[in-house]
Amino acid sequence: MRDVLDTLERWTGEGLRFATATVVKTERSAPRDPGAVLAVSERGEVAGSVTGGCVEPAVYEEAQAVLAGGPPRLVTYGIADEEAFEVGLPCGGTVHIFVDLADPAVVHDLAAAVREERPVALEVIVAGEDIGRKQVVPLNGHADTGLAGDVFVAEFAPPPAMYVFGAVDHAAAVARIGKFLGYHVTVCDARSRFATRERFPDVDELIVAWPDEFLRGAPVDGRTAICVLTHDHKFDIPLLKVALETPAGYIGAMGARRTNESRNERLLAEGVTEEQLARIHAPIGLRIGSRTPEEVAVAVAAEIVATRRQAAVPA
Amino acid sequence: MRPADVLVEAGRLAAEGEPFALATVVNVRRPASARRGDRAVVMPDGSVHGWVGGSCSEPTVVREALVALADGESRLVSTEGSCASEGAVEILIEPQLPAPLVAIVGESPAAATLAGLAAAIDWRVTRELDDRADAVVVATMGRGDEEALAAALSGPAGYVGLVASRRRAEAVAASLRAAGVAEDALARLKSPAGLDLGPIRQEEIAVAILAELVAWRHARTPSAPPPEEAVDPVCGMTVALVGAPTAVHEGITYAFCGPGCRTRFEAEPERYRAVEAS
Repeated sequence: MRDVLDTLERWTGEGLRFATATVVKTERSAPRDPGAVLAVSERGEVAGSVTGGCVEPAVYEEAQAVLAGGPPRLVTYGIADEEAFEVGLPCGGTVHIFVDLADPAVVHDLAAAVREERPVALEVIVAGEDIGRKQVVPLNGHADTGLAGDVFVAEFAPPPAMYVFGAVDHAAAVARIGKFLGYHVTVCDARSRFATRERFPDVDELIVAWPDEFLRGAPVDGRTAICVLTHDHKFDIPLLKVALETPAGYIGAMGARRTNESRNERLLAEGVTEEQLARIHAPIGLRIGSRTPEEVAVAVAAEIVATRRQAAVPA
Repeated sequence: MRPADVLVEAGRLAAEGEPFALATVVNVRRPASARRGDRAVVMPDGSVHGWVGGSCSEPTVVREALVALADGESRLVSTEGSCASEGAVEILIEPQLPAPLVAIVGESPAAATLAGLAAAIDWRVTRELDDRADAVVVATMGRGDEEALAAALSGPAGYVGLVASRRRAEAVAASLRAAGVAEDALARLKSPAGLDLGPIRQEEIAVAILAELVAWRHARTPSAPPPEEAVDPVCGMTVALVGAPTAVHEGITYAFCGPGCRTRFEAEPERYRAVEAS
């Protein structure tokens, strides 16, 4: 919905009535993820998409019905059964789409929260007596956009933070893939000669500071990813100690096996517990045989995704 | 070809995506015919353009360059002991392999997202089937998955993957089987494509697939079959069979580091035949 929020806010400002069709659940390989929105104004204008063209005409009709005074509705598209039928289906998978009239107050609240970078969730009841009731609630921590019982929850959180320490070649690659995954990426290094815009044109913030001092003052929550690429004990011992005091969802540290072992010994000697140490992914990244900085970045991204999803990962 | 010309040639080859190894003399112990900074380009067919020393070092350089092209690793080699003279040279060999080419088939958001990510890590991307592709990922979301997969599996690509749910992946495999695609071809199909990270969003699916592609790329070590080698029966040097002078004696083929050794062998083969070629 984030992609059409500007348009919805404009329509609201113009006093237009409009209906929204929201993907609340997908089965198998649907073209768009839950949270995707198609909006139809009373003037017949359209914004966004729910499947990238597969079922839009049918959804448009449902939206028109709602605009004409019809009740909110949960509609399902796709062939659900018989794999034989599924093969050759023009659009794979099944999508469940909730269509109802937009509430100007809700649009206003969401737009304001996004602008102010306040994490919120939109909750919509999609079945039962209270169908169509919705509210915007503050969000603490992580919520996946999706259906929980009869309630559809859409996450509207500012992008999570990724902190990359050490302005090395790997940092540029990790930052680039971090941006791709939707992170607000900060690269930090104490050495101003390395932390330059020329080397890191894409990152959101480039900080010249001692890593541990910077991280101590930086906002960190459960969605934050911390990538320690300094592999220099002078920087990474104090930095990892600070990182372990935060609720960061992912902490990874680069270093060859021996570097790791000596780093662990140092950290334990400085009072870090074994349980805390277990939070550090080191050497950073899934073992996929990466050689180039770009490949290491893929390994790091895959590890972050796996950690985020708490999935069982092949060793 | 002067060392600077070798670099120009290397740049041209790299720009055209041709694989080659760059050999640079980094150390010399006299007497030797090469000087520090001498360079050559070694092609996958064993041909050498440039100068890294004569018959003492060239066979070693070719052999190691072919191994480097196979495993992708740079190496420092020495001609110590392989020359009649007391001289020796040390040569840095750097394989230059083009970035893998991945064909991403389909107009789906998943395909577009994967193409963006693959390009972001500097892989070469084409959005249609291509016989030169190292890997093929099919993500049409049902608009021709089977046709694209059947074509890809009959081609030379080492990795063929399908973006789909597990259930749909099984259905597509069944459909390919029914259409007569052989079992060994089906066994090559990664379906659903991607490491099982439990991903949900399109970007996460793309990361899971690219991680699998990286793992696949490096699991094939050596990525090409290692070059066949033989021992020169005259001087004892190990040489790559590709491009080496050979001689046949009593039905056995012998390979040599250069024409000199072959001439000596041919003059008195009985003296050297104890060391047989592989």
